[in-house]
Amino acid sequence: MTNEQKQTLMRERAAALMKDGAVSYVIGWRETRFPGKTAIFFVRDEKDADMLVWDEYTIPLTAKYLTENRWPDKKIGIFARGCDSKAINRLISDNQVERENLYIIGLPCEGKKDDRCLSCTQRDPLIYDELLWEPENATGTSETDLQRARFFRAEEVESLPTDARFAHWEDVYARCIRCYACRNVCPVCTCRECYVDMHRTGFQGKHHDAAENRVFGVTRAFHVGDRCIECGECERVCPMGLPILGQTQKIIKTIEGLAGTYEAGMDPEADSFLGKFDLDDKDTFM
Amino acid sequence: MALSNKTGVFICHCGTNIAGALDVHKVVDASRALPGVAYAADYKYLCSEPGQQLILDAIKEHGLKRIVIASCSPRMHEITFRKMLKKSNINEYLLEIANIREQASWVHTDFDKATEKAIDLVRMAVAKVGKSEPLKAQAIPITKRALVIGGGIAGIQAALDIADAGHEVVLVERECSIGGRMVMLDKTFPTLDCSACISTPKMVDVSAHPNITLMTSSEVEEVQGYIGNFKVKVRKKATYVNHDICTGCGLCEEKCPFKVESDFDRGLSKRPAIYKLFPQAVPAKPVIDKDACVKLKTGKCGVCLKICPLNCIDYEDEDKTVELDIGAIVVATGYKPAKWQSMYNEYGAGRFEDVIDGLQFERLVNASGPTEGKIKRPSDGKEPETVVIVKCVGSRDPKKGHAYCSRACCMYAAKHAHQILEKLPGGRVFIFYIDIRTPGKGYEEFYDNTRKDGAVYVRGRISRIFREGDTLVCQGEDSLLGRQVRINADLVVLETAMEPAEGSADVLNMLGCAKNDDGWAQEAHPKLRPVETQVGGVFLAGVCQGPKDIPDTVAQASASAAKVIGLLNKDEMETSPMIAAVAADKCSGCGACEPICPYTAITLEKTPDREPGTGKKIERSVANVNAGLCQGCGACTVACRTGAIDLLGFRNTQILQEVDALWQ
Amino acid sequence: MAVDYEPKIIAFCCNWCTYTGADLAGLNRMKYPENVRVVRVPCSGRVNPQFILRAFRRGADGVMVCGCHPGDCHYSTGNYFTRRRFMLMRELLEFNGIDPRRFHARWISGSEAAKFRDTVTEVTQLIRSLGK
Repeated sequence: MTNEQKQTLMRERAAALMKDGAVSYVIGWRETRFPGKTAIFFVRDEKDADMLVWDEYTIPLTAKYLTENRWPDKKIGIFARGCDSKAINRLISDNQVERENLYIIGLPCEGKKDDRCLSCTQRDPLIYDELLWEPENATGTSETDLQRARFFRAEEVESLPTDARFAHWEDVYARCIRCYACRNVCPVCTCRECYVDMHRTGFQGKHHDAAENRVFGVTRAFHVGDRCIECGECERVCPMGLPILGQTQKIIKTIEGLAGTYEAGMDPEADSFLGKFDLDDKDTFM
Repeated sequence: MALSNKTGVFICHCGTNIAGALDVHKVVDASRALPGVAYAADYKYLCSEPGQQLILDAIKEHGLKRIVIASCSPRMHEITFRKMLKKSNINEYLLEIANIREQASWVHTDFDKATEKAIDLVRMAVAKVGKSEPLKAQAIPITKRALVIGGGIAGIQAALDIADAGHEVVLVERECSIGGRMVMLDKTFPTLDCSACISTPKMVDVSAHPNITLMTSSEVEEVQGYIGNFKVKVRKKATYVNHDICTGCGLCEEKCPFKVESDFDRGLSKRPAIYKLFPQAVPAKPVIDKDACVKLKTGKCGVCLKICPLNCIDYEDEDKTVELDIGAIVVATGYKPAKWQSMYNEYGAGRFEDVIDGLQFERLVNASGPTEGKIKRPSDGKEPETVVIVKCVGSRDPKKGHAYCSRACCMYAAKHAHQILEKLPGGRVFIFYIDIRTPGKGYEEFYDNTRKDGAVYVRGRISRIFREGDTLVCQGEDSLLGRQVRINADLVVLETAMEPAEGSADVLNMLGCAKNDDGWAQEAHPKLRPVETQVGGVFLAGVCQGPKDIPDTVAQASASAAKVIGLLNKDEMETSPMIAAVAADKCSGCGACEPICPYTAITLEKTPDREPGTGKKIERSVANVNAGLCQGCGACTVACRTGAIDLLGFRNTQILQEVDALWQ
Repeated sequence: MAVDYEPKIIAFCCNWCTYTGADLAGLNRMKYPENVRVVRVPCSGRVNPQFILRAFRRGADGVMVCGCHPGDCHYSTGNYFTRRRFMLMRELLEFNGIDPRRFHARWISGSEAAKFRDTVTEVTQLIRSLGK
């Protein structure tokens, strides 16, 4: 099936849902005036469904936009690929959205024109009310089939000696402008008030320098850490183009080293790594 | 913040303990210069009467609002100084101790560096106390009623002690009579008192005690709440006999045509389907075993109903659930003998009738047992001449059974040997053992006498038992002589390990109590809090905590009763105010804190709110801390990314201030 | 590396074990370097990895987190969470170019005064050798 055919299916389905009044709106993508860039689009009217697109640039994650309306009067329709469905699972486990408020239209994904899709382990949706088309490949991709290592960004940094790693991050965080776009786009950053925004003395100083930005970067990684679904949105939206996905990749890689296979968002019932323990957990603490 | 930071710093010399190893005056001067400090002074012994008065006077004179005391460890005198502050207008939690004795003067040799460190420690304390807030201990009401789970000797003793102190007790026992394991025994070591003679009067006391509500044939089904305020659901199983009318005349038991193996006699006799556990059962009234009663299973029979002169039988009886408000709980669930049959194939795995366990032997030798106290072997009723006793069956054997020692077996094995030699003139007893452990009053003497009576102790394990004609051949090694032994025995008694009673794991889980790897209930501290659990208001009595003999069980039961009485004597109790608290406006209800809490003190609760922006009425999940359950560990705080859940007395800001102070 | 370089190390210690062990070290008049400053916490589970970031941000030369041995937590399970949190944080710090020799998590019980002394001595020497 071509992208165009898929796009037509999406438009028809969104229009039908709006016409039935089954959902208050449908979250998908539309074109922008920049070639190769799409934007998240809320289909609020049946006739707007034709603005929906599906091509190699429909990259942004739809799921985070569910948090804009946590107590909807009617169901929210949402198009979801594998990554979106992992994010939805996470939002459900974090009690941020309720499954019964969602109408999920699953879209098996063929991979988009983005670096992170090269290491995608879950193209097909995990959770949905309907699948709009049949998956072309078998569900999921085994790690050996990846076009790029799952933790590619972390491994770039790991290969450096300690001092060079320090210098690498010093450079990254010297350029960080603390716009918090990475936080805003992240499907697991769902605090009512982010710790960085608290006005009283807290964990985050207000200075804007590499050292303080570094505290932000590591703290963000730790907050997201065991819940990160590895969608890479943080890195995609960074206006400074900073390679920050490695921070959470490193955490997940560490978890795998300690406790075996680990992937957040695969099951809304699964416990987070830091929310449980095993009596026989490994440590090097003596 | 409404409270100003007029902090007073007081440096203690502790005689020369502090003053001899660092420059106290320099610490005073440095303290004076710290932000927020309004006054600093030093004194020889601040913990002394005049020392405390000096602080109280300074508080008045200088209008101090917060206090830092640089002295010995807070583990030493924090409580002293908090009590002192109760005499002032400063909340006792606006106090920080800088530990400049254990952490500076006593452990460092360089005078200047020790002084510098002491100044840092004061600096940290001043910074922290600047962010401290007044805290008030909460008072939670105490329901003056105890629940005792399990009606063995531990439960009986605990119930009687609590009841005698004037408090209500509900004693729950799942069997149809209290008495537990002790009442099955014949004699008790080392004094050889008749077990029934000393335990049945206590059972009667329980049933007659005005403060005790006895619930037999009942099981605890659900426990909610916390210390002083438990809500307990107890399932009262159907007995099919109206105990309000029944006089326990026993006619029904005589006439019941269906018999099953008696659990009480450990399978060595039969009992009817309508039965009392044993003749002196308390309550002394029968129940119908619904698995054995043909009337209940097929509808045909009904003899007991016809025969009962008072019409007590009710085949329609159903389970009932009773809800109780309880202030304190004693767990006394006891033990079961290990199933040796599945552990030791080499002992016949149950194929030989004449290989019995210690508890079966107790029934055999018991005057009210199946043989009226005559030692006869189960297979043919013959009196045995040679008896082999094997100790540590399932105990001290991690490969086949358990690593632990069951503690009572050495002594009751000696007792069994004594009884055999007494009752079977000319009989021979061989006891196979690993070690002899007789720590207890009169225990070693008893063991010695048993040997003098003629019991032969052989060090070693029996490796195999097999039948040869009429006898059981016991093969093993005498490891002291280093040679194989072979004994043709008429009867073999296996002194089996104790294991946590069936269902004890369910009870402990329901209560939130921990257990060790072997399933024994975990005490709060193995040395200093042996009858408490980590769950406030839940105490342990008897073998449920680990194998022990009757004297230890009774002592522990009385100890837990003392704890319960102490608790129930109060109308309300103060809980530490240094517990977790939730800022509801910040809480996103993600629930990350919930699984961290070891006390299940955190629950997500639907809270009415308005949607930001639209003002629509909504309900959202907010974490809620139960002050009665929270112990103040603070592990939850780390799970909270936004800092909505924080630990009072150790708030994030307080700890961050301490960190910051070091590099200001 | 300056000859008289004295590192400042901050140690977050559980009240029930390591803090008690440190008190015992004092009681026994054991001697150890002056470089460590102890922050008393009710449980190592109370120690937020962000405290460690803050300490390094402020200029700590080394950071220690000390709790009860696994299985011995006063609150029964707090240190099991500590273990997971700091196994992750340790790796993350190293990943961020912070020398792992500057961060130490240790299990020290209330009776292990000598272990407290030895740990403080050893960590101080190690960090002193690393320099600023």
